[in-house]
Amino acid sequence: MTTALAVLAGGLLGPALLTAVAVVVPAVIGRIFGRLLRTALLLTLPIAVSVLVVNLFFFPAGRDVLFQLGPVTATAEGLEFALETLARIGAISGAITLFYLTTPPSELVLDLERRGVSPRIAFVALASVQTVPALVERAATITAAQRARGLDTEGSLWRRLRGVLPLAGPVLLGSITEVEARTLALEARGFTRPGRRTLLWWPPDSARQRLARWVLVLAVPLLLVARALGWLGWLN
Amino acid sequence: MTDLALEGVSYRYRQGATLALDGIDLHIRAGERVAVVGQNGSGKTTLVRHLNGLLRPTLGRVLHDGRDVARRTVAQLARTVGLAFQDPDRQIFAGSVRREVEFGPRNLGISGGELHRVVDEALAEVGFAGEASTNPYDLGASRRKLLALASVQSMGTPVLILDEPTTGQDMRGVEIVKLLIDRAHAAGRTVIAISHDMEFVAASFDRVVVLRLGRVILDGSPASAFDEGSWEALRSTYLEPPLPAIIGSRLGLGATPTDDELLAAL
Repeated sequence: MTTALAVLAGGLLGPALLTAVAVVVPAVIGRIFGRLLRTALLLTLPIAVSVLVVNLFFFPAGRDVLFQLGPVTATAEGLEFALETLARIGAISGAITLFYLTTPPSELVLDLERRGVSPRIAFVALASVQTVPALVERAATITAAQRARGLDTEGSLWRRLRGVLPLAGPVLLGSITEVEARTLALEARGFTRPGRRTLLWWPPDSARQRLARWVLVLAVPLLLVARALGWLGWLN
Repeated sequence: MTDLALEGVSYRYRQGATLALDGIDLHIRAGERVAVVGQNGSGKTTLVRHLNGLLRPTLGRVLHDGRDVARRTVAQLARTVGLAFQDPDRQIFAGSVRREVEFGPRNLGISGGELHRVVDEALAEVGFAGEASTNPYDLGASRRKLLALASVQSMGTPVLILDEPTTGQDMRGVEIVKLLIDRAHAAGRTVIAISHDMEFVAASFDRVVVLRLGRVILDGSPASAFDEGSWEALRSTYLEPPLPAIIGSRLGLGATPTDDELLAAL
């Protein structure tokens, strides 16, 4: 929601304000601001740098010259546009990172189920996230097993490339053969049974959280109207 | 042939984690048959993975013939120590049984007729003589395990380590594993196996090393390790002495860790 608002608000100040209120404040309260900053930066640094460089030097409507760098010219209009775009990217990545850091996948899936999403879809979403650590662990054991049989993973690039097949084989085959076992296990526990499930526990959803959500939802049409009527000029 | 030694080896998997190995001193002479036993999590697999360099000690040294192996790669150490993992599915990758068994010896530089010969020998040993072109995934789980053993056995390394070789095997499978160990022993190779099967341990090994919480709590022949005086230590790591040892002790026949020894004493 913060993402949509950041795009709608436009300008530099709008997304910046939004990020401060909807991302930075909750992150600081939740004591995860450091991790949030690191993850969000890692996520956006490459795109942020390219946005800055491209717009600073190649903004088509750029007139006001800031400085020259060899054959290219940096313009003030380009800088302004780049900063506006960066503010939006910052808001988007901040919001997504905040969500990722504060929402365990299992809770997200339970909440989706409670809201009527099919358990199959919910399971697929959860399984794809949860298989990653298992796959990493499996790959590590397989690498160890093949090294114990004399596979050289410490030698030259060519040697390592030659070693990929004996490593990739068991990882893929194992995951595929596991599908059948997994299906049977799910089936045996009534996964495909029709009808609504009774959840024994679901993530708490406080009145304040619900209020915050509604404020954000309502803010979208409000901003849309305000933007259309040109009331947001002061934000630029 | 190679003497193996661990000197004061301690190992932790992560900073701050408990010690998986806690000051292990162990010397295994060339040609010995050593069973490593202990409850789950006692450090058995961690210990054997130090012998071929897959794990490097947090403290202490690992020696092959008196020389520290810290600077040698796993691929180099694989010439001396072959290690078959517990789960064959983490090891098998080839499209045919022959290609699977060839992988290890080929990495050691064996080729041509010699390669063919060692592979045929290893296959015959586990009863796969007619299955050279079978796809490993068409074999059942217990036979895949035998295949994994054969694919390490075929490397002909002076030291052969088997991680729970009899798990999931029926009597015939266990017999095949026992024969494989006997042959390797007859050829002068050192055999080290991790096992929870005490009757198998008593029958096929000269030495039993009992681990508990990363320490060696018993180390001796099956007769001494399964003697009544050791039962308390064994049970402290959730191991039960083999039945013939208990019966022999009850009847006052002395140390009879295997069926044959019990019958002979009777």
